[in-house]
Amino acid sequence: MTSLLPLLSTAQVTPGEVEAPLGPQVAFWVLAALTVVGAMLAVTRRNLIGAVMSLVASFFGLAGLYLLLSAHFLAAIQVLVYAGGIMVLFVFVVMVLNQEEAEPWALRHVFGLALGVAAAVYLAVRLGQLLWAAGPGGGELASRLRIREGAPPQGYGTVAAIGDYFFTEFLFPFEAVSILLVIAVVGAVVLARTTVAKATTVYELPPGEVDLRQPQHDARDEVLGVLGHHAQAANRPGGGH
Amino acid sequence: MDASFPLHLIPLLPLLGAIINLLLGRRLGKGAVALVACGSVAAAALVATRAVWVLGTEGLPSGALVDRFFQADWIFSSGDGLDLHVSAGLMLDRLSAVMVLVVTWIGLLIHIYATGYMEHDPGYHRFFGYLNLFMGAMLILVLGDSLPVTFVGWEGVGVCSYLLIGFWYAEDKNATAGRKAFIVNRVGDFGFLLGMCLLFSLIGTLKYSEIGSHMQTLRQPLWLGWPAACFIALLIFVGCTGKSAQIPLHIWLPDAMAGPTPVSALIHAATMVTAGVYVVARTHVLFDVFPTSAKMVVAGIGAATALMAATVGIVQRDFKRILAYSTVSQLGFMFVGVGTGAYAAGIFHLMTHAFFKAGLFLGAGSVMHAMGGEGDITKMGGLGKHLPVTRWTFFIYCLAIAGIFPLAGFFSKDAILAGAWAARFQLARQGFGPFSVEWVQHFTQDIYPKLIWSLLAAAALCTAFYMWRLYFVVFTGRFRGTADQEHHLHESPPEMTVPLMVLAAGSVVAGWVGVPAVMYHEGDWFGAWLAPVLPPPAQELSHSVEWGLMAVALCLSVIGIASAYLLYYGGISEAARRAAQILRPLYLLLYNKYYIDELYDVVFVRPLKRTAWFLWYVVDAFFIDKVLVQGWAWMVSMLGRAVRYLQNGEVQRYLVGVLVGTAGILWVTTTLPPRRAAAFRLSQQGRRVTLEAGGGSSRVGLVYRVDWESDGKWDEVDTRWSTLTHEYPGQGTYKILFEARDPRWGTSSTRRRVVHIE
Amino acid sequence: MLPLSYFNYYLALGAVLFAIGAVGVIARRNALIALMSVELMLNAANLTLVVFARAQHDMRGQAVAFLTIAVAAAEAAVGLAIVVGVFRNRRSTQLDDLTMMKH
Repeated sequence: MTSLLPLLSTAQVTPGEVEAPLGPQVAFWVLAALTVVGAMLAVTRRNLIGAVMSLVASFFGLAGLYLLLSAHFLAAIQVLVYAGGIMVLFVFVVMVLNQEEAEPWALRHVFGLALGVAAAVYLAVRLGQLLWAAGPGGGELASRLRIREGAPPQGYGTVAAIGDYFFTEFLFPFEAVSILLVIAVVGAVVLARTTVAKATTVYELPPGEVDLRQPQHDARDEVLGVLGHHAQAANRPGGGH
Repeated sequence: MDASFPLHLIPLLPLLGAIINLLLGRRLGKGAVALVACGSVAAAALVATRAVWVLGTEGLPSGALVDRFFQADWIFSSGDGLDLHVSAGLMLDRLSAVMVLVVTWIGLLIHIYATGYMEHDPGYHRFFGYLNLFMGAMLILVLGDSLPVTFVGWEGVGVCSYLLIGFWYAEDKNATAGRKAFIVNRVGDFGFLLGMCLLFSLIGTLKYSEIGSHMQTLRQPLWLGWPAACFIALLIFVGCTGKSAQIPLHIWLPDAMAGPTPVSALIHAATMVTAGVYVVARTHVLFDVFPTSAKMVVAGIGAATALMAATVGIVQRDFKRILAYSTVSQLGFMFVGVGTGAYAAGIFHLMTHAFFKAGLFLGAGSVMHAMGGEGDITKMGGLGKHLPVTRWTFFIYCLAIAGIFPLAGFFSKDAILAGAWAARFQLARQGFGPFSVEWVQHFTQDIYPKLIWSLLAAAALCTAFYMWRLYFVVFTGRFRGTADQEHHLHESPPEMTVPLMVLAAGSVVAGWVGVPAVMYHEGDWFGAWLAPVLPPPAQELSHSVEWGLMAVALCLSVIGIASAYLLYYGGISEAARRAAQILRPLYLLLYNKYYIDELYDVVFVRPLKRTAWFLWYVVDAFFIDKVLVQGWAWMVSMLGRAVRYLQNGEVQRYLVGVLVGTAGILWVTTTLPPRRAAAFRLSQQGRRVTLEAGGGSSRVGLVYRVDWESDGKWDEVDTRWSTLTHEYPGQGTYKILFEARDPRWGTSSTRRRVVHIE
Repeated sequence: MLPLSYFNYYLALGAVLFAIGAVGVIARRNALIALMSVELMLNAANLTLVVFARAQHDMRGQAVAFLTIAVAAAEAAVGLAIVVGVFRNRRSTQLDDLTMMKH
């Protein structure tokens, strides 16, 4: 069995084993705690950079859990793409925008919010309950899910095995995702691009200030050819803090 | 000689004229319109005359000329056992021959007259279009060989009369009169239709020539022991009362004078209103069926109408209104004629009346033309010297309608009076049924005909009186109108006076075709002409009685004329005014036409209006419009207003919706089925307890377990049966514990119930 | 290597992560945090996929997880671009300020 992180996956399990070795158990609980705490911090932190970093920590924890689940290549990708790529993009954007958070919680609709949180909690509890029931020893569903005891087969979760899937059974989704990525790249460029004149002036301003000399750029302005919404610009939400 | 003749030309020519005038008349100009209108009617009159000539000279076995527009059925409808075949067929027998000649020739005169009368009217072409349309419809009516074809013409003249009465529709009064005529006619038409339906349902045909061969069926009792023919006859007569303005549907005719005067002459004197008389004569086989109750009704209503209208005519002040009531009255005479079995007399009076009544109306038109449209006779007077032709022709018409020998009215009215005197009505055979008792027989056979005769005689007296009152008030004495009107008084142009003279000549000579046999033994040529199609009167009168009746009638006429002379010659005399003062209640009763319009207003019109108001405001405007239509709109808008708060543009609120929806789906699919299934039902039979899980179809895939005694030990485990039965060993109170579980999701729900075992 | 009974914990962990992400999406005003929460929810789903893949000894679940990561990357790229664009126009990344689409 090729393994990227031999330390955590050395324990070869024999079929029928009931008690887990202490190492993986401890590893699971530590990683789970890391993941959950990281996620909660990411959601609750006021500081954006702090939130991003907490999320990165959470993703590292997830990568560790993937290793425990013999998904070695996926763990690597999780670290590379998520923690290394996507989250860096987040950090980059956060730093570029450099915004202070006035009030982190969207409390304007308390009732709706409470309803939503209640629904989310119900979903978590219920899904957790169901997934618990679906796990090994969970009865009918578990048996229907063809859950197997014992260690995974040779080569499980390796690059070669994954690649095998991607170039046979998953060829079409694989190609489709590649097209999706191209579209996303082009779309991101188009969306983030700005006309030179606007960009220079807007980004020179201190954060949270509105440049009254310069008309605020509005998508409708381009359509209508109307410039110079000075008065309106001052009243725009988010512009007058 | 083949019995077919292109009869369709007769109605078709005026109809073509109508189409041309209505579609192109505006461009054609007045001369061309008049030419098309009169020309088409003249051509129709010539064709009709030729047809009648053929009918009279060729010995036709069937006694009738026939024609069909097209060979196939016009209406075909198949029912169980009864197939309705109606061909668009026309038929000319001796009865319709009389009608066709009257309609076409008198119609032609009125058309010619109208070219002068309507000279300055902007709706010239429209008027003649309608007039031609009317002629076409009337000719279809009289030529139709079956009730449906007649009904087409019947409805056609109804529509035309509506159009022509309301011809000057800009005035509300005229439009109302048109509507009234139409609606009252519809009431009658409904009876006519019902009669047709009943007839068809019994014998399966509606052809005049075929009804006679089904008399066996029609004599069968239909209801209350009366034969079917009686009911059919009465229903058809309801239609005739509408069209011919008899009580109780007479109210439209006096109002119909709102139309132009030639219309009054053509439609409401000479042709259309006689349709009822014609139809009764045409379907006489139905009226002749043994218990002569239908004929009694016809004669009774005719006599009552004759007297009622004649008395009303005495006090009216409007020129045309007097003539209108005169028409109603004379139509009553005709109905007495056909109702007493003297069919030929009724048709005879129809013909003579057409001459002098058309003349009277045209004379009225001539007078009103000179008076600038003024119709109030109290504002006229002394017109004789300004309108000599009108005056002397009017003189002849008045003599004729009063029944002075030897003018037309004398002979026809005398025939009707004689027929009424001679009539014998029978309601039952001797010794059969409740009506066979002595006094009923006596009444129907002896008293009732005499009663009718007396009513008619009184009506004849009144007729002579009011016609001559009219004549004296209008043409003698001094002019009572404005000076301006007097200045403009002038005789009418020749296209108006010539028809007057022709009609006057007709009023003199038309009666000579029906001289009673007591005067000249071959004198009743008219009766002989109609003898093949209409049965002769049942009873013959002795010569002395007939002479006596004639003398009485003549005396009554003379008395009427004489009293009118005394009271109205040279204007309305002081005596006449005093009489009106003394008899003021009677005067008002008559002047207000027995308050019948008011009665109908209270009994029918107002309740109908109230119902209509209710339907309009409460049902339509409130319930349908406000509650249903606008209510839905209101609900949608309220819903929209409520939903608007959901669409606040905040993505996070939408996400809450997604989350709540997801949670809801999860709850419904996983938690709800066991929960519903756990709500079980119990049924108990002695010690046997049956438990059924609730939830219906949603419990598919669930498993159950039950603990019958709640002793902590499951009695049945993981059973898939939703109905479980348990027999308790002994009496006591037990707690049942029941659990439903969904093994797919691992969700479960438990319920407890207490059961008492006796 | 963990015994099979531990998979239940994994699955429960996925549910918890998902709930945290959901709460973050609906409750935080900042669009960036909301995007991060979405990522969190995607990862929760991924974790569940991987757990079942491991339990069934079948790698298709992992393959799908890879695809999810790719989609998440695309989503993050486009989402962040939108946030940047919106910020440039409205000077704000607060979600409850961005309600002009309701008209």
